[in-house]
Amino acid sequence: MKKALLLTIKYAIVFVFASVFLYPFLWMISGTFKSDFEVMGLSLIPSHPTLANYLLVFERVPIMRALLNSTIVSVTITLSVVTFGAIVGYSLSKIKWSGAKYLTGFIIFTMLIPFQLTLIPTYLVIVKLGLTDNLLGLVIPNALTAVSIIMFRQFFQSIPDSLLEAARIDGCSELEIIFKIVFPLSRPAFITVGILTFLTSWNDVLWPLIVIRERSLMTLPQLVTVFVLGGEAETHLGAELAASTILALPIIILYGFFQKYFIQSFVTSGIKA
Amino acid sequence: MRNRATIQGLGLSLPYLIFASGFVLFPLVFSVYLIFQRWDGMSAAVYVGLKNISRLFQDDLFYQSVLNTIIFLLINVPLQIIFALFFAVLLNSIRFLSGLFRAIYFAPVVVSGVVVTIIWQQLYGYDNGVLNSLLSGIGIARVPWLTSPTIAMPSIAIMATWKNVGLYTALFMVGLQDVPIDLHEAAIIDGANAWKRFYRITIPLLTPTMVLVVILSTINGFSLFVEPYVMTGGGPMNSTMSTLLYIYNQAFYFGHFGYAAALGLFYAAIIFIVVIIQRRVLKEE
Amino acid sequence: MSNAIHITALILLAMVILGCGPKTEQTLNNQRVVITYWAAPNQQEMMLANQLVSEWNKNNPDIHVRLQALPANQSTEEVLMAAIAAKTTPDVCSNIWPGTVPEYVRANALVSLSQFSDFDSLAESRIGWDRMVQFRSADGQYYQIPWKTNPVMMIYNKDLFKAAGIASPPRTYSEFLFDAQKLTSYSNANVGNGHYWMGYRDIRPIWWQRYFDFFTFYCAASHGHPMVSNDSVNADTNAIRSVYYFFQKCFSNQYFPRTTFQYDPFIAGVVATEFVGPWTISYIRQNFPDKINYGIGPVPVPDSSKGAVYTYGDHKSIVIFSTTRYPMESWRFVKYLLSVESDLKLLEIASQIPVRRDILKEPKFERFFNQNKIMKIFAEQSAYAKEVDQSYDQKEIFDSIAQEFEKCSVYGKETSDEAARNLLRRIKLIIDWEK
Repeated sequence: MKKALLLTIKYAIVFVFASVFLYPFLWMISGTFKSDFEVMGLSLIPSHPTLANYLLVFERVPIMRALLNSTIVSVTITLSVVTFGAIVGYSLSKIKWSGAKYLTGFIIFTMLIPFQLTLIPTYLVIVKLGLTDNLLGLVIPNALTAVSIIMFRQFFQSIPDSLLEAARIDGCSELEIIFKIVFPLSRPAFITVGILTFLTSWNDVLWPLIVIRERSLMTLPQLVTVFVLGGEAETHLGAELAASTILALPIIILYGFFQKYFIQSFVTSGIKA
Repeated sequence: MRNRATIQGLGLSLPYLIFASGFVLFPLVFSVYLIFQRWDGMSAAVYVGLKNISRLFQDDLFYQSVLNTIIFLLINVPLQIIFALFFAVLLNSIRFLSGLFRAIYFAPVVVSGVVVTIIWQQLYGYDNGVLNSLLSGIGIARVPWLTSPTIAMPSIAIMATWKNVGLYTALFMVGLQDVPIDLHEAAIIDGANAWKRFYRITIPLLTPTMVLVVILSTINGFSLFVEPYVMTGGGPMNSTMSTLLYIYNQAFYFGHFGYAAALGLFYAAIIFIVVIIQRRVLKEE
Repeated sequence: MSNAIHITALILLAMVILGCGPKTEQTLNNQRVVITYWAAPNQQEMMLANQLVSEWNKNNPDIHVRLQALPANQSTEEVLMAAIAAKTTPDVCSNIWPGTVPEYVRANALVSLSQFSDFDSLAESRIGWDRMVQFRSADGQYYQIPWKTNPVMMIYNKDLFKAAGIASPPRTYSEFLFDAQKLTSYSNANVGNGHYWMGYRDIRPIWWQRYFDFFTFYCAASHGHPMVSNDSVNADTNAIRSVYYFFQKCFSNQYFPRTTFQYDPFIAGVVATEFVGPWTISYIRQNFPDKINYGIGPVPVPDSSKGAVYTYGDHKSIVIFSTTRYPMESWRFVKYLLSVESDLKLLEIASQIPVRRDILKEPKFERFFNQNKIMKIFAEQSAYAKEVDQSYDQKEIFDSIAQEFEKCSVYGKETSDEAARNLLRRIKLIIDWEK
């Protein structure tokens, strides 16, 4: 009896907090369908559902274009980070060369440098390269990351050297080994690094705010920020929530299908830190 | 043989070497150079000697922003640890649907900070905000969440906790699962009750995870930008002006790039020192 | 091996595609000159710009003007700063806030207008040197010519005033506070209709909001005195103090609410006064034509004040960027923008006041002002419209004004003496740093 009571209490608490985490999102989504006067209300059901808020958003800002921009940028960055991170990570773990130790140390050192320090000089580099107001300006500074290299390096260390030696003896070149043997074995690492990179770049607001001024080139979170702060929503709260929902939707959908991978990626990277 | 390996190693590391020279080494060196310049983003940079540094020492707004960031951390980090631990233990002790609940708690972590901020700005509204409506519905006075200089930053800290606690919960859950069951069983045989087992076994074994959580949330806290930028613009009375927001404003709003670089260096040094101290102190406990 | 090549090629291709972002081009047409003109991106000004430009193009086939809206963005200043850095500025822009001109001049981004032989006569005839002088740059030349002004005045709700027993709009601080007290009493006596406030300000420390409270009142209280001149602090300290003190009284007595509204409270009939320019009036007239019975008057001044009431002018200037390939042709277009006919369109279409001397004596405007009494009042005020000083870092100076406004006036955490002192100290810090 006592056990059943305890269990019930536990589930009650779990459920209460689950609603604490869920309610704000549900409130946001339901708000997007409410008309102005009841948006602030607590209920989750609009009395007269309307699409006006979404229409306002689509009318005022190029939100689909921003969605496209974010997708292009994030996918490119993820592909680049994952590919080059794996290649460099391989060179630091599976190739016995004297520089490996020093380069690894250097890369770890750069992970300690807070980005606040290099933010402005990096902006200057982008200006000098003429890449402001250009999606490349978003991609290139993020094309490789120390984190991905180190994570891949760590993962590759668990692959037995003997396997690679055998391939070498068989006459495979290093690149063949990388792509035909190591990569297929490293799916978990790819997924982890891939998810983390994609999510970080998708949600990044600061760098796009710095590099991109032209509306048609803004990323989705940036455009929503500008929309909300810039007053074009004209205090139509429902429209602000609508823009915000459009921003949240892609990730929530992906998260819905792949939550296990998402959580795992974060946990793995945290532990490795 | 060794030469071949070196060539291969260098060759495969080439992407990073190229990247690092332009986007790691150069910015590092250049940031030191920028500190002695006045550059407004349009004209050529002008040498100004130690002006930026001397201004830095007289800039009370900058120190205010550092203080604000510290206040944020002092509230956010403990809250996060307490709740993450609580949730982890709770979720670990139920079996049915625990995966679903863990996913729900984790959801705010992956959602963009912009979304979270927009939602919470309405939750925190003074006149009609959701929270205040709930409070006045049960007869409690309204709270000036974002309009009081003393409460605003804590409000942001609470929101940040809500957003991130799922991540740390997941980390603690992993840590809990690592606690060997035999230790618990031995303790039960020895007559220890659940609380004692918790204090004597679970918590000490969770220490590495706790250290991790502290360090991760500290580093995260020093990067506080989106929330004050969207929610309060740094007010009221500069109480939510995080250091990164202040640096951003100096550079991209007022066009003081050299000065902002100096601030950035100083701030990075502070972060560096804090993190190192944390690592030392916590690793010894 | 082929996989590696495929993936790398894919990544490189993606980067190349990304690299093709839209860029502003100056199309070279051998037959005629093409000038790019950036106008403010709001609806009315775009309408005005379209008319002006198409008429120009009709009458000037040899100089074609290409109209572009300023990229809508975080702010015009950021767009221009980025354009100057990337050298993608247009030939002419008419949406320049004078406060940014010193930085643009320092960046060699602007063409000196003084060099044109007919500049002096145009400035004299259209504007008059007494008003022109405040737009002069540090080296004595003019890099901007003020186009339009949005002088800030007080709009008041006639019905609310009448109901509260306020006979005429307040002219001094004491009258304003006294009337505010009357309104509060009236509001408390009639609880059922909700609360009424005398006025309302956006209390967030947003620097440009201070145009419409602190700076406007400072111009009025100091009779157009600067805050900074010749690289040093030169302000009317008494005026600063009294302005901070006045607003402090408004907030501490709850004549102004300490909150942000989700809608415009004046239009909703909840506050009795607001400090606005003519653009707001036309906005109200278009969107809420008969909602409020309103009147216009000058902003209140300190009790001991005498003479004409000054105000903040919220001017916009026209500049020619130094990237232009056709300075002479650009100047011809600028002169057209400043002509009487163009100014009339500015009045009619965009509801803004051209910076023109003796504007009320201009015969071509007579019909317009006879039909628009409200605009006439603004036009009268425009002769006493002051702009921000021509010194660097105006934004940061206003940010400091906003800080003290928040601390002293909104939250009452420091006295107006302290606020004035802190403000001047911080302005000195900002200016000295630039030297």
